[in-house]
Amino acid sequence: MSASTKQSRGHLLQSIAVAVILIAVWEGACRIFDISTIVLPTPSSIVVRLYALFSSGMIWPHLWATLVEILSGFVLGCVAGLVIGAMISLIPVFERLVYPYLVALQTLPKVAIAPLFIIWFGYGLTSKVVITALVCFFPVLVSVIAGFHSTDKDQLDMMKAFGATKWQTLMRLRIPSALVLIFAGLEIAAVLAVIGAIVGEFVGAQVGLGYLVVTLNFGMDVPGVFAVLIVLSAIGLAMHGLMRYAARRYIFWIRRSEAPVMT
Amino acid sequence: MVALKIHPGANAYGVPDAGAVKPAMIHIAGLEKRFKTRSGETVNALTNVNLDIRENEFISVVGPSGCGKTTLLRILAGLESASSGAIQCDGAQISGPRPDAGVVFQQATLLPWNTVLTNVLLPAHLKNDKSEATVRRAEGLLAFMGLKDFAQKYPFELSGGMQQRVSICRALMREPRILLMDEPFGALDAMTREAMNMELMRVWSEEKKTVIFITHSIPEAVLLGDRVVVMSPRPGRISEIINVDVGRPRTLQTMATPRFGEICDHIRTIFGAQSLTATSL
Repeated sequence: MSASTKQSRGHLLQSIAVAVILIAVWEGACRIFDISTIVLPTPSSIVVRLYALFSSGMIWPHLWATLVEILSGFVLGCVAGLVIGAMISLIPVFERLVYPYLVALQTLPKVAIAPLFIIWFGYGLTSKVVITALVCFFPVLVSVIAGFHSTDKDQLDMMKAFGATKWQTLMRLRIPSALVLIFAGLEIAAVLAVIGAIVGEFVGAQVGLGYLVVTLNFGMDVPGVFAVLIVLSAIGLAMHGLMRYAARRYIFWIRRSEAPVMT
Repeated sequence: MVALKIHPGANAYGVPDAGAVKPAMIHIAGLEKRFKTRSGETVNALTNVNLDIRENEFISVVGPSGCGKTTLLRILAGLESASSGAIQCDGAQISGPRPDAGVVFQQATLLPWNTVLTNVLLPAHLKNDKSEATVRRAEGLLAFMGLKDFAQKYPFELSGGMQQRVSICRALMREPRILLMDEPFGALDAMTREAMNMELMRVWSEEKKTVIFITHSIPEAVLLGDRVVVMSPRPGRISEIINVDVGRPRTLQTMATPRFGEICDHIRTIFGAQSLTATSL
């Protein structure tokens, strides 16, 4: 245990060292070759700009709007994915009637239909929430269906041999078994949620980090664009970390090495 | 060889052994099981199986893979139905899982999200029995199996042998009259396996039960069984039923006795004869 902690601490130090070296090389190259800030800003100018965005209070309404879009879209998409996925898995008629249409829906590039959502739901919050939910929906749906299919056949036999009813088998075996893959789907959805919200904002918005990126880009404020990108990836990392924490808590019996989860 | 008392499978049913007074607890006559393969062919998994099992008898079933021994156990457990023939317990046809039968599978099939104790309690929980007495019984079983300190652990914290012992506790939970075991020690290493054999004999001597024990190990079958049912494949059928006239209690030393060796050799001869016919055909 202590050996592995020591080892993982060593790995952490190594990756921090790599990051420090990369940033130093980036900063040095920009200064030595006198690269224009519009092409590639120095890391230091990005940090300065990031600090200014927060200290001036300019970023807060955008950050808040995007966070609301991400979280409500994520929750909505996941709930829909869980419910419809469970229905498809447990009600055979549903699988035959509904699933083909859902697959067809998934083959549509979300970016291409985003303008339609702006027309239908307006420039405000709703259209972004719907797009985000749609992006989150499919990975969760697939993971729920795969999760229910993954129930161990021997364990099903065992439940049957001990006289379990269908309901008992569902609650005590099939749902807990499905959780392993469901969490993998939730983890993917958490990261996609950020993309969904930004895509929605790119297509048409008056507020949000995606809107801010577009605006700063127009103003040739490239360090500002980079600063917002850092905030966006921090949100993505936080969402991902949250799901990983939940997975470790709720599917504790899966050792990390065995977890079929994105890393 | 001459001294061996051999009951050919076809004659075994309905002919109780000398000294047996009670009628058979489990009565199997003319049992057939056919499967349809994907290509539409019919496979005879079991054909004309006849076997009577007395109460508290330990029956070992041994045979190569594909001889239908697992199918026989699955029908006894009510997990599959017979295509034709009688398979009765106490005079009634077995048509589904029975509350008085405990099953131990080749894999321990414990629920990984439940503690050892909750796993043992599963059969009781399925009947909504959450009484204090039931928990005491589960704890008693775990203590009996040397797992007292592991009640609150999770299955992944246990070795393979320990997991299988938990699975046996679970099968014993509802005080079954019949214990159905499908190669329960097949996945264990040889040393653990021998220890588990001794453990099982201890359980069986303490809590008398009718045991049907499937294995592909000849010494294991002979060591444990009152009778050994020898099965052969294509189609799955009983070749011979052999009385193991070796006294109890049996220990690992029993395996070194001449009589034990004779019986094992005899079973090997049956398998050898089968493979010879198979190749000459």
